[in-house]
Amino acid sequence: MNQMSSLCRLQAAMAAALLALFSFGVLEATAETVPTRIVSVGGSVTEIVYALGQEHRLVARDTTSNYPVEARSLPDVGYVRRLSPEGLLSVAPDMILAEEGAGPPETFEVLANSGLPIVTVPMGYDLPAVQSKIRAVSEALGVADAGEELALQVTADVEEAIRAAGLRDQSVLFVLSMQGGRIMAAGGDTAAQGVLELAGAKNAISGFDGYKLVSDEAVLTAAPDVILMMQSHRRGAVSPGDVLAHPAIAATPAGRNQAVLQMDGMLLLGFSVRTGQAVSELAAGLAAADS
Amino acid sequence: MKLIAENISVTAGQKSLLTDVNFRALAGEVTAIVGPSGAGKSTLISALSGDVSYAGSVRLNGQDIKRLQPSRLARHRAVLVQATPLTFPFTVFEIVRLGMSANADKDIATLALQKVGLAGFEGQYFQSLSGGEQQRVQLARVLCQVWQPVKEGVPRWLFLDEPVSSLDIGHQLRVMKIARHFADQGGGVVVVLHDLNLTTMFADQVALIVGGELVIQDTPSAALTSERLSAAYECDLHVRATPDAGFFLLPQLAHVS
Amino acid sequence: MAATATDVMRRQVGDRTLKARRVTVVLLTLLLLVSVAGLAVGAAETSLWSSLVAWAQGEDLSLRDQIVLLHIRLPRLLTGLLAGAALATSGALLQGLFRNPLADPEIIGVSAGASFGAVCAIVLGAALPFAGKLGAAFLPVLAFAGAWGATLLLYRIATRHGRTSVATMLLAGIALSALTMALTGVLIYIADDAQMRDITFWNMGSLSGANWNKLVIAAPVIFVSLVAAQALGAGLNAMALGEAAARHMGVSVQVVKRLTIVCVAAATGVSVAISGGIGFVGIVVPHVLRLISGPDHKHLLVNSALLGACVLVSADIDARVIIAPAELPIGIITAILGGPFFLWILLRQRGVLDL
Repeated sequence: MNQMSSLCRLQAAMAAALLALFSFGVLEATAETVPTRIVSVGGSVTEIVYALGQEHRLVARDTTSNYPVEARSLPDVGYVRRLSPEGLLSVAPDMILAEEGAGPPETFEVLANSGLPIVTVPMGYDLPAVQSKIRAVSEALGVADAGEELALQVTADVEEAIRAAGLRDQSVLFVLSMQGGRIMAAGGDTAAQGVLELAGAKNAISGFDGYKLVSDEAVLTAAPDVILMMQSHRRGAVSPGDVLAHPAIAATPAGRNQAVLQMDGMLLLGFSVRTGQAVSELAAGLAAADS
Repeated sequence: MKLIAENISVTAGQKSLLTDVNFRALAGEVTAIVGPSGAGKSTLISALSGDVSYAGSVRLNGQDIKRLQPSRLARHRAVLVQATPLTFPFTVFEIVRLGMSANADKDIATLALQKVGLAGFEGQYFQSLSGGEQQRVQLARVLCQVWQPVKEGVPRWLFLDEPVSSLDIGHQLRVMKIARHFADQGGGVVVVLHDLNLTTMFADQVALIVGGELVIQDTPSAALTSERLSAAYECDLHVRATPDAGFFLLPQLAHVS
Repeated sequence: MAATATDVMRRQVGDRTLKARRVTVVLLTLLLLVSVAGLAVGAAETSLWSSLVAWAQGEDLSLRDQIVLLHIRLPRLLTGLLAGAALATSGALLQGLFRNPLADPEIIGVSAGASFGAVCAIVLGAALPFAGKLGAAFLPVLAFAGAWGATLLLYRIATRHGRTSVATMLLAGIALSALTMALTGVLIYIADDAQMRDITFWNMGSLSGANWNKLVIAAPVIFVSLVAAQALGAGLNAMALGEAAARHMGVSVQVVKRLTIVCVAAATGVSVAISGGIGFVGIVVPHVLRLISGPDHKHLLVNSALLGACVLVSADIDARVIIAPAELPIGIITAILGGPFFLWILLRQRGVLDL
């Protein structure tokens, strides 16, 4: 009996020691490969990082990453489409997490040659796209489980918002900007059209992709019921009043009913964690405009 | 060695500037070209310099100038024409030096300036000089280009288009004496002049151009008669000789009625 | 009592050749210093000194340091030197050719053509047949083709019977600029938001896209053009007195014109193609040098190349450092410094040179 218990104890001790060593080894290994100095490029990507609670691993961000507010205190490496390689390297990153479309290509070529891991997050303007984004970011950060949870939660939010929004008989024109009296509107394959469709409305204008300058006739033909704009806090930015006063818009149903809706840009167009909130706010706003 | 121009005709569009002009000049002589405004004097000297396209032939020192590269032609003759305004702040010395070839003696520029009466002006900005001073600087540059009137037995030539137009009489005489001296040393001089007195004082031969045609080429006393000049310039001109100076005094305009 | 304009002009000036040579030596030294700075200064913490020490001792540099020094800073430095030299020398060449201190490569259509080519690449890119094959080289190739196309067109318009009229070239250049601006406007009109931003950034210029692939092609072209340009010094001096006088002095005027235009189109075309629109270097650098050591082109061309290189690399150092880790487009810096400087030059020289 004594011999047995000592042997058992010895075996248990050895097993425990082995287990401890093994765990320690695993921890060591994962600690070496887990990136802790990440540059996040793209507002929607940064938002997801914060939502996953991984912001302590960020060392820099790009100019478009300003949500949440804490992100603004990180160093700014420049505009997403015009990054410089040395600027990125200067923060000694061990990974770049960038949304699709970040550039220019030469910069990423140089960085790739330096052995720096670069993860590209695919963009898109529907619910599956949001899910892919969240999964891509969480996998890159090594927190796939938390990512799955977040994806499910966001999916639930969005689906609920879509259901509540229902289908609306409203056509909406998204005005990105007005330069010298010319209107830049959202066409197909844009975040604006994507979120409008989620909220049950439709894009008043069609026939082109991206954000483009449209003619007055095109605006009149589109005859939108509501104008959708981003909120801007810059002095001298175009105000809703300016847009409604535009002669082409004034002649549309939206103009006649003074139906203009303003929302925060990153919330509305980000297609990130707050998409559900964006859809419900948008639907509420459209409903209000309808009455 | 000679300058022989045969059957020179120059047209600009439909208009005929020179018609079938036969002109010649000898090294060692000063040959003047005179005539009323618009007659074609500058056109003729331009053709002789190789500036405008012409029908006919110009042979300088036995060579057809059309066949010579600009750099080779520049070794035979130097040309002084109305200059375009200078837009960069070159100094007088830098302008004069342009006339010299790369391996020429730098002192030549200084000597040339002395000759034209501008000693000590080397360091001044060309743009700050008066019109007459600028004209003399250009002459100094041109002289530098053909500093030796005769080189290796071949005479060099000066083509001067109204070189004294902005100068007072003192400087006019100085410049014409330079031309005379150049010819006396064996070089050839062809000069367009407005002043007929200067012409008779300094030229060995004079060519009278009227309406694009050569009326006559001969010595001044033979060529410049009262009738011929009155016809050419379309006003009443009288040629007189003064006994002591020995040259022809012009003109006593008849009273304008 | 302040000196009047005439007093300033009548001041005696000695032989400026010696001064010009001294300026050359000073500029060579400055070039060396600026080059070292260009390699040593940057947003990343890579230290040039410790890297050199390590390399001398036979140690390997970290991959990061290698990338920063050899693939970011060094190509960028060389591009800045070449583009700066190209732009400044081109300015000096054209000012000599047109006998106008305000001449600029824009005058012979290079900038308008390059800009049009670049905008085509940005807006029409995907739609054009060979875009895929050229990849990242697509935009520079189109920009260069545009630069050359415009210059050749202007040259053909201005040249009759073997003689090029610079006055005609100037006027035709104005017309061509207006035309390309209109066509570019059409392209911008059909561009989307992202493309418009790309166009804006291209117009402001940047050396951040510099890499060895681009240098391998650009460096020989610029280098050969600048060396060939040195032969034009005496000819341009003579042409300052007018084309007729230059011809009388033995200069082959048409050869000078053609070589000048070719050198400018090649050097500037390539520079603009790889680094976008950078202004003022071509006007300010030769002007400053004329004030210091005179307008003799034999020295002006060399010194312009050296000073232009120093200026552009210095501007690039500023661009990289001021808002690190982000960067300013270099065209903004040359404009901010060059614009007021140029105005100051004009105001000083107004009475003196009757511009």
